[in-house]
Amino acid sequence: MRKILVVDDEHDICDFVGAFFKERGFQVFAALNADEALLITKKERPDLILLDIKMKGMDGLAALKHIRELDRSIKIIMVTALEDQDKMHEAYKLGAVDYITKPLVLDYLEEIVGKNLKAV
Amino acid sequence: MSTHRKIPSWGKLQGWFVEKLMYNQGGISPLGNSNLFNNQIPDKGIVQKQDYQSFLEAASRTMIRFKKPEHLIKMIVKTIDEQLMVTHTAVLLYKEEKKSYILIDSKGTTGLKIPIGFVRLNVDNPLIRIFSEKNSFFISETGILNYNDIICGLRNRNILELQPDLYDNLLAIKKQMDLLKSVLCIPCYFKRDLLGILVLGEKINGENFSREEMGFFVTLANDAAMAIANAQLIENLQQRVEEIKELYVKEHRIFIHTAIALAAAIDARDPYTHGHTERVTNYCLAIAKELDGVPEVSQYKNFRETLQISALLHDVGKIGIPDYLLSKNGRLTPEEFEEIKKHSVIGATILNPIKELSDVAKEVRHHQECFDGSGYPNGLKGNDIPLIARIIAVADAFDAMTTTRSYRKKRTIEETLQELKSKSGTQFDPIIVSAFLLAFQKGNILNNHK
Repeated sequence: MRKILVVDDEHDICDFVGAFFKERGFQVFAALNADEALLITKKERPDLILLDIKMKGMDGLAALKHIRELDRSIKIIMVTALEDQDKMHEAYKLGAVDYITKPLVLDYLEEIVGKNLKAV
Repeated sequence: MSTHRKIPSWGKLQGWFVEKLMYNQGGISPLGNSNLFNNQIPDKGIVQKQDYQSFLEAASRTMIRFKKPEHLIKMIVKTIDEQLMVTHTAVLLYKEEKKSYILIDSKGTTGLKIPIGFVRLNVDNPLIRIFSEKNSFFISETGILNYNDIICGLRNRNILELQPDLYDNLLAIKKQMDLLKSVLCIPCYFKRDLLGILVLGEKINGENFSREEMGFFVTLANDAAMAIANAQLIENLQQRVEEIKELYVKEHRIFIHTAIALAAAIDARDPYTHGHTERVTNYCLAIAKELDGVPEVSQYKNFRETLQISALLHDVGKIGIPDYLLSKNGRLTPEEFEEIKKHSVIGATILNPIKELSDVAKEVRHHQECFDGSGYPNGLKGNDIPLIARIIAVADAFDAMTTTRSYRKKRTIEETLQELKSKSGTQFDPIIVSAFLLAFQKGNILNNHK
């Protein structure tokens, strides 16, 4: 079973995206901050991480860097607000494979995850 | 009746809703109080139906009074969530700036509640198109899209075989409803525009929604649409007012600058009066400061502005006076003086055709009148001379006396003040002279005097 990690400091988003992918046959983990995300990554080695750029404490870009140091095989998709899109340039440099902007289209969320996991 | 969960009676629900509307969100119930709903209502029959009707009427009238449609939408979502026992509720509204429908409020159980602001539906989404194009017979006559109807359609062999396009469309709609885990979608229309949709999950007890409940949703959706449309209309109107205000301020600035440029052009013709208009305008404004509360001031629509423009343009009529007269060295002959005296009438004649300046034209015409009636052009007396003209008269005289003219040397400030005092009540309005002296004492005159 493919493993997905959802990292977002909003409870509702973790819950919803978690349930969304569970229903689609994935094993889902959720982290409300970057530290939690790193712990889960070490322990569970997810195939794919949905990583929110804007988070309290360590932000998505810093988390991205640490995760890449841990494991370069994990596909990381950044979740950004429209106004943070300029940060994507840096995210790509740090090794993110794709990004999705909030508010998002659910089909696209399903598609982008499927597409990136197929390539694994 | 279901054994697992008792759905509150309509009467109770309605009362609760009106109460919430009244107390929580600043809405005003046209009913005054909600006693109507707290009375014993028979469970079944005609009475209940009538009451249901009256509730909806009351609720819709209340809703229109919401200043912010978001409050109303939150209220609707909350009501449905708390009272109708659905797994989740969400409202998506069309946002012009994003050109899509954005989820703006939601409630529901963990994992099913769609996070606020997280999801959007594009205008070409099948779930939006089925409503915006309004041509599908899979929407019931109430306007609601029901997941069960889609499933029935997909099971219908005729559709599969004879209408493959429709079949594909139904599949696409099913997929969208699956993504949102929705069993009912209710559109909010204003006129022909789809403003938003209300998305509902299934009932927690697994039952189907009743006809009455669906009717209730439709009414809520329609009223919400009305409130949203109203709010948008008001917002657009406010924006337009702001634009017009800005335009007005801009045009006004241009206008004032034009007046200043014109005044400077008049000044420039006479080297002796250089800066005269600017100084007179500043003296006038300083005098006006001391006239706060004088009843005559309030008779002007915009006193300060009329004063400023009148002061700037008081000598505009000098355009019609020959150069050799304006810059003549030595005393003027009586005929020449008569010629010079025409400048106030010429000024008024120049300004009169400008409708917005009719007040100003009047002040310009009379700025050479004397308080005792000995001035020109009309020999007006006392308060028959417009207030601003009386102010300009004092300011004008002060500047004329304290600057060197072609025909005489300037006087000292003390001499000039003495002159103003001695002519108070004859040439000048005593009130204006007092105001001038007050302004002078406060230092508001000489700081303008270069």
